[in-house]
Amino acid sequence: MSVLAEDYILDLQKRAERGELIYIGQSLKRIDDLEKVLGSPVYTNDLIPKNTLYAKLVLSRYPHAWIRSIKVSKATSYPGIRTVLTYMDVPGINESAAIVPDRPLFAREKVRSTGDIIAAVVAEKESRAIEARDLVEVEYDPIKPVFDPMEALSSDAPKIHENGNIAKHIRVAKGDVEKGFNDADLIVENTFRTQFQDAVPMETETAFAIPKDNDRILVIGSMQSPHNTQAGVAKVLGWPLERVEVIQAVTGGAFGPKSDETPIDVASIAAIGALKTGKPVLMSMSRKESMIAHTKRHASVIKHKTGVKSDGRLTASKVEIYLDGGAYASLGVLVIVRATFHANGPYEIPNVLNDGYKVYTNHTYAGSFRGFGAPQAIFAAESQMDEIARKLGIDPLDLRLMNMLRPGKRTSTGQLMDDSCGLPECVDAVVKSSDYRRKVAEYSSQNGKVRRGIGMAILHHGNALGPEGNDYAYVHLSVDKRGTVHLGTGLTEYGSGAISGIAQIASSVLGIPVDYFTIDRPDTDRHKESGPTVASRVTAVGGNAAREAALKLRERINAVASKLLACSPSKVKVVDGYAFSEDDPKKTVSWEEIVKEAFDANIELNVVGYYMAPRCIWDESTGLGSPYNQYTFGAAIAEVEVDTETGIYRVLNYHVAFDVGRAINPKNVIGQIYGGTVQGLGYGMMEELVHINGQVVNPNLKDYYIPTSLDIPDKLVPIIVEKRGAMGVYGAKVIAEPPIVLPAPAIRNAILNATGGSVNELPVTSEKVYKSIEH
Amino acid sequence: MPDSLRSALKEISVNQDAVIIANGTDMMPRIREEGLKVDKLLDLSAIDGELSYINVEDNIVKIGAMTTVSQIASSDAFRGSLNAFYEIVSKFGGPQIRNRATIGGNICAASSSEDFIPLLLTLDASVVLQSVNGKRNVKLENFIIGKRMVARRNDEILTEIQFNRPSDDYLSGFEKVGRRNILIINLVNMAVLMSVNDKKFSDVRVALNRVSGKVPQRARATEEFLKGKKIDDDSVINQARYKLRDELKLTSDFRASADYRINLAQAMFEKLVRRLLGGFNNE
Amino acid sequence: MSDMLIKMKVNGVEREVLIDAEDRLLDVLRDQFGFKSPKEGCGTGDCGLCTVMMDGKPILSCITPAFQARGREIVTLEGLNDDPLMKRIETSFRDHHAAQCGYCTPAMEIMGYNLLKNVKKPSKDEVKEAISGTLCRCTGYYDIVDAVYDLGGNE
Repeated sequence: MSVLAEDYILDLQKRAERGELIYIGQSLKRIDDLEKVLGSPVYTNDLIPKNTLYAKLVLSRYPHAWIRSIKVSKATSYPGIRTVLTYMDVPGINESAAIVPDRPLFAREKVRSTGDIIAAVVAEKESRAIEARDLVEVEYDPIKPVFDPMEALSSDAPKIHENGNIAKHIRVAKGDVEKGFNDADLIVENTFRTQFQDAVPMETETAFAIPKDNDRILVIGSMQSPHNTQAGVAKVLGWPLERVEVIQAVTGGAFGPKSDETPIDVASIAAIGALKTGKPVLMSMSRKESMIAHTKRHASVIKHKTGVKSDGRLTASKVEIYLDGGAYASLGVLVIVRATFHANGPYEIPNVLNDGYKVYTNHTYAGSFRGFGAPQAIFAAESQMDEIARKLGIDPLDLRLMNMLRPGKRTSTGQLMDDSCGLPECVDAVVKSSDYRRKVAEYSSQNGKVRRGIGMAILHHGNALGPEGNDYAYVHLSVDKRGTVHLGTGLTEYGSGAISGIAQIASSVLGIPVDYFTIDRPDTDRHKESGPTVASRVTAVGGNAAREAALKLRERINAVASKLLACSPSKVKVVDGYAFSEDDPKKTVSWEEIVKEAFDANIELNVVGYYMAPRCIWDESTGLGSPYNQYTFGAAIAEVEVDTETGIYRVLNYHVAFDVGRAINPKNVIGQIYGGTVQGLGYGMMEELVHINGQVVNPNLKDYYIPTSLDIPDKLVPIIVEKRGAMGVYGAKVIAEPPIVLPAPAIRNAILNATGGSVNELPVTSEKVYKSIEH
Repeated sequence: MPDSLRSALKEISVNQDAVIIANGTDMMPRIREEGLKVDKLLDLSAIDGELSYINVEDNIVKIGAMTTVSQIASSDAFRGSLNAFYEIVSKFGGPQIRNRATIGGNICAASSSEDFIPLLLTLDASVVLQSVNGKRNVKLENFIIGKRMVARRNDEILTEIQFNRPSDDYLSGFEKVGRRNILIINLVNMAVLMSVNDKKFSDVRVALNRVSGKVPQRARATEEFLKGKKIDDDSVINQARYKLRDELKLTSDFRASADYRINLAQAMFEKLVRRLLGGFNNE
Repeated sequence: MSDMLIKMKVNGVEREVLIDAEDRLLDVLRDQFGFKSPKEGCGTGDCGLCTVMMDGKPILSCITPAFQARGREIVTLEGLNDDPLMKRIETSFRDHHAAQCGYCTPAMEIMGYNLLKNVKKPSKDEVKEAISGTLCRCTGYYDIVDAVYDLGGNE
């Protein structure tokens, strides 16, 4: 029994009234960043054993070609080379494809992009492997390539895959667009284009494999889903799952590509190499290998045709989205689904016809990347809104206020918005914060070569997997003798702090400080498959599983504490690690004492929590229904200054509000808003992975520009709005992805306001701004 | 790894196919990424004591080839008419690179990060090339002959950069533009050195990273045009812009089109000239 | 490319190591000496994640030939973890959530340390300048700038 000061006891009692919400909404420090600030050796490449061999990739020279032969003897006999791996070394199935089985691990008869992997050279030293790469001899028979997705659709385009060049088509059809166009007073048509964006996680894709004695193999790597990687490696090796153990090491950023094929590629190559040589093999991609061979954000061509009444009411919207998917489907077949569902923007429009296509081309392939189709779709939709506003002579804000989603309105798929729709509050917040109305008036009369402008963009973002799959998670909690709670899950941390966040949820249910927790490295041997860590679902979905686990554990804790406190279990309160009875708070027992008692009494403090989000009901052929369980909403206003003589511009400030349902840890939420916004700034202003004739010409950080500390706006004002969601834990909604969506359209619209010039293609470079201005 | 200039010169006269490396900031990425094969390296980093200095003798500024960008930034030698040096270093690479990149290396690399070269061209700078057989001076504009090509003989080492210090009635300025605010491959980079007399442009020197070929050059027609013209006549600067446009023969690539680069150069030129004129007015 | 035996001081200890001509300082620090805090983010000197101190100045170890470290003094984050200023920086980073994925954190902390050693009370712009050669993809820089800025003037 502990003796605590009187006033502290009163404080505990008062705080106990918050129940399981006691630590929710607090900006607690993360529990897993100590090793990061110390520079401890916890990332994949830091952990390799002394005798590790190094693998480097040989990629295809052509974007489209038959392979006549692959000869490795010259490379194999180069000093320091242990072996060279090709399709001939694959013991199981030569495939590494996330959903559609259209992609080999190693190229065999055909290459479809310069990112295709021909071989892996394995050497004692990485520099030797790099030198020997050119000695792998490949005989190619080039085939005519196709790079433009519109061209790829035509019947005489070269066929990249057997079944033609459409990897996926999805449609949303509501009402009657032709009737809607007839009802309109004005029809506005525009075509928008967006570029390939590379995720540039600061740590590239990497994994090493160690053959184990008992016919097993251990893989440690940088990834978003150890279970996906395990399944992929097992398939390539032709082994049952149980013989493959995959552990996610601390991961230096991911953003999407580490949930697609690439982690499986590197892990499988490492595994094959390890089994062949009997030694550990590290397959760590150089930045160049990564930027060529991993998945990236799809480039797109998006056509909008919108009907509108002269007072601003939208009557019809027809959108065609063509995603340039590169050579393989990857997760792109789901990216197009999200893009198509969100293609009209967050508005109620009575008649909608959206057709979305993921198209194969001979570019390097595209897949998951933060936003997952929304950045492209919302750039087009929100740019289109400003074009409509301009043609009608209405302020872009007023056009949005008139048509946007609110409680009682319906989305493009007909889903009804209820009180959890926080879009109006988000818009209000940024309009106030940015002093929008006054600035618009001020900027409407400017002269001089340097102009300022203000522009906005808004969004809705369906949470989380929605139509993309079963949204479930498991979280394990187990308490050791000293009272430390181990949280284990197949969900992964790679920077957002979300795993720390679900520990915070569990700590709140248990009433103990979050630093009693430690997060175990996700390990397929110990943790149940929890779906991939994508779609920002760790908090909303994983948080529910953590809560379930904590509630189970809490029951046992209460039972033990009730004996120690001589009260009924339902009266047990726990705050800051002290348990007491509601009726007699002066008598307290510590967490450690409860745990010791549990161990002595052989009560197991090991639980697993499970949560699966309700299935979403929607019609596959029309897209109508409720494809998502809840939505995040957001609004952003950007202010820019443009030198009309050069088109050079800068973002002066950026105000953004998100309805996050409930901010479990506000500082973490703001961290996501900051980081996602700057990544979105890069997308809007400067990033562009360029292919020329199928070759990536800037697969490096010298010529591919991500924002530096000197490129961020001086003022970035993040605002949190909370309208409880129906599904997420405590009403939480996703936040990791939406921030990347708004900067591109907000900045583009601010430039339009400043100069009168429309830039309909990303990134908005100074050249494009210059050319869009009437001189 | 020679530890003196003398032994370095001896080494290169014996191994004339050796590739000279200063601190490696340009060479190393190329070895790693572009597969540049280097069999023999002559490493100058151990003789940076001998080769890093900034001296002014008899009004001639002499900068040792191994002088780093950071050393230039913290030297007082460039105040006044040579202020553009400080503008160059503040935008050169990033803070870490400035501690290692050398002015000699930047010149010999002669590549797309050739920040110092336009300014040095306006200063009519020359480089000192040494071999076991002696020294020779070569004007910088004759030294740089192509992208990554300089007129160094195989047994020579570039040891010094020299130029006359412009008198105090000169002002200098430097501008560069790329796709973000730092660490860029220049779309346009430009230096101007000029003097004003009796409200007229007196001596005007303009150089850009590209004028009509693949190497940095002086924009001589534009310079000639401005000499003797009135500084407070807006039409003069306008016409000078046109002269510059006519002089420039630039190419398009995936980063920017030729006509945009030309337009950018014109706008930067006007901005730079007006900035320097403002500097004259403040004196 | 023959082997060379060179001596250098790393984190306060004189060391001798056998290197090849093409070895980068980054590889020698990580693989020979076991100091894993400097990272390879790009291999071309464009991201700053390989930053270490050489003779008291921050440099990029991925584009520094190992043979040029001969006779020099190298300090990595591991060698600064006991330094009182670095400890305050590390605490400040945790308080500000400035380490998200953590991959750029060692380099950011070294640049912050270098700044605070030279400038008593740096402005936010000076902090941004100091870290301008170091890329971060997770935080958007704001929390990192705050973490360093808030330590200014408290020496």
